[in-house]
Amino acid sequence: MSKVSPANKELIEDLNSEYIAALNDFNMDNWLACFSQQGQYILTSEENIRRRLPIAFMLDDCYARLKDRVKQVMEIQYDSSEHYQMRHFTQLISATELKTGEFKANYNFSVYYTPRDTNQTETLCVGRYEDTIVIESGAARFKKRIAIVDTNVLPRYVVYPV
Amino acid sequence: MSIENNSTSSIDWPAKTNHVPKEVFEKEGLWEQELENIFYGEEWHPIVHRAEIPNPGDYKAAQLGEINVFAVHGDDGEIRIFQNTCTHRGTSLVTDSSGNKKELECPYHRWLFNLEGDLVGCPGEREFSPDFDKKDYGLLSLRVEAFYGLYFATMSDKTPPLKEYFGESFYEPLQRLLGGDGRLNLIGYQKVVYDCNWKAYCDNDGYHGALLHKAFAMLNWQGGKGTQIVTKNGHLSFDSELTMPDHVDALEDGSILDFKGTETSNGSIVLMSFPITVYTKHMDMLNIRYSFPKGPKGVEVHYAYFSHQDDDDEMIKHRIRQSSNLLGPCGLISMEDASVFSRIDKGNKTQGDAIFQKGVEDEYAIPLKVGQTDETGNLARWERYRELMGFERRAK
Repeated sequence: MSKVSPANKELIEDLNSEYIAALNDFNMDNWLACFSQQGQYILTSEENIRRRLPIAFMLDDCYARLKDRVKQVMEIQYDSSEHYQMRHFTQLISATELKTGEFKANYNFSVYYTPRDTNQTETLCVGRYEDTIVIESGAARFKKRIAIVDTNVLPRYVVYPV
Repeated sequence: MSIENNSTSSIDWPAKTNHVPKEVFEKEGLWEQELENIFYGEEWHPIVHRAEIPNPGDYKAAQLGEINVFAVHGDDGEIRIFQNTCTHRGTSLVTDSSGNKKELECPYHRWLFNLEGDLVGCPGEREFSPDFDKKDYGLLSLRVEAFYGLYFATMSDKTPPLKEYFGESFYEPLQRLLGGDGRLNLIGYQKVVYDCNWKAYCDNDGYHGALLHKAFAMLNWQGGKGTQIVTKNGHLSFDSELTMPDHVDALEDGSILDFKGTETSNGSIVLMSFPITVYTKHMDMLNIRYSFPKGPKGVEVHYAYFSHQDDDDEMIKHRIRQSSNLLGPCGLISMEDASVFSRIDKGNKTQGDAIFQKGVEDEYAIPLKVGQTDETGNLARWERYRELMGFERRAK
């Protein structure tokens, strides 16, 4: 492992910003575009990780599952739940380059949500991202993004990826 | 316990059995009555499966009503359930939701209990009261019965034995849901707080019209033949065949919906034990939903998922992928349940009754024979609730 160059660090930060912008705007196509063709997304709890329990809240372990996640949000469950606005606040904790040319990045995150019916803002979850990132055609993409929530007990329901 | 003495709050109950007054979800003071008359009464509550605490010293914290309890796997292999309190000054003994301890030490005055609940050490004993005897200060244990590794607790000595309490129509499918022999492995949890009264959760979590689930139609997924059986004391069991489509066009990765099946499987089992717990086996997902009311508003539900000890690696992986993505607060076929809980909760803050219709033949009877998809399976539970709470039904 070695330190990430400023240029690559900027690419990693750009990717995280694109990811957050996609979710804030409910643009699931842009969310999907943040992943490489080998991409995986997992949303799980700190408790499951700590106890080495493999169940997750969302387990998209191949690109086909990522595409199905988009379909689930945009079509299958589009009118099944009340919409809520999300805001992500993230903080890069570490970024390293592996010998394979891939990158590891760790972020803290807090996500607030504001349902349209109450218009009150509450915490959806707080946690950390553990990312494996590749650089393809000059842009960083997630090979794997694991969102691990300290909020082991989530409020109500979670429609969108975190 | 006298129901009359505890009837601090009353509700004018409609004569028609398919009507439930909405104020039962909202009225102040009911929760305290429900604790005394139901949760601390003659009911069995599932607390833990052996697969969740498989090794000596493993423990799991839970609640029974508002009482904090924990289950612990003893050095002797027995699983016991104790109230979570030191018998000296009342300090909680375990603070994490789960873990492993060699012994249970209270940090306050260093009273020490073994995993079987005996007080084995207490510094300064010579200065204690003249009659002090460690034997009198073991942990407060609950009455426990196990069924294929699933441990139930009750607060009452009068609760009938477990099998009698549930009846065969409930415990036979529960055995199948527990893998046939109870030899399960825990594969993880999904935990969530639903935004509704616990009784609204009961009405809607176990089974409801498939109309809510757009995914069923998009996936070309039809339910097969099946039965719904109700017991007089309010337990419910649904046992259905599943007819899965050959190919799922709506998804890129249809393998998530594969039904690999086992010899104990009949496709879909949904059980609900009075007062609040749902157990499901949909396709290859084995799931117990431990549920804890947060007072009158909110229900914390812990979805625990299991694999079977005889599963090969491929089956375990399949169960993990299916369980993670189909059920729970984010699931493809159940996220909207959670959304509906919130809407029902808001709707219950209006006047009138919540009404069950599908399957009603006589609006003044409590049907025990119900069709597979009838709403009337809920009525025996409501009748038992009404009786336990001592609410008078209006004359016809």
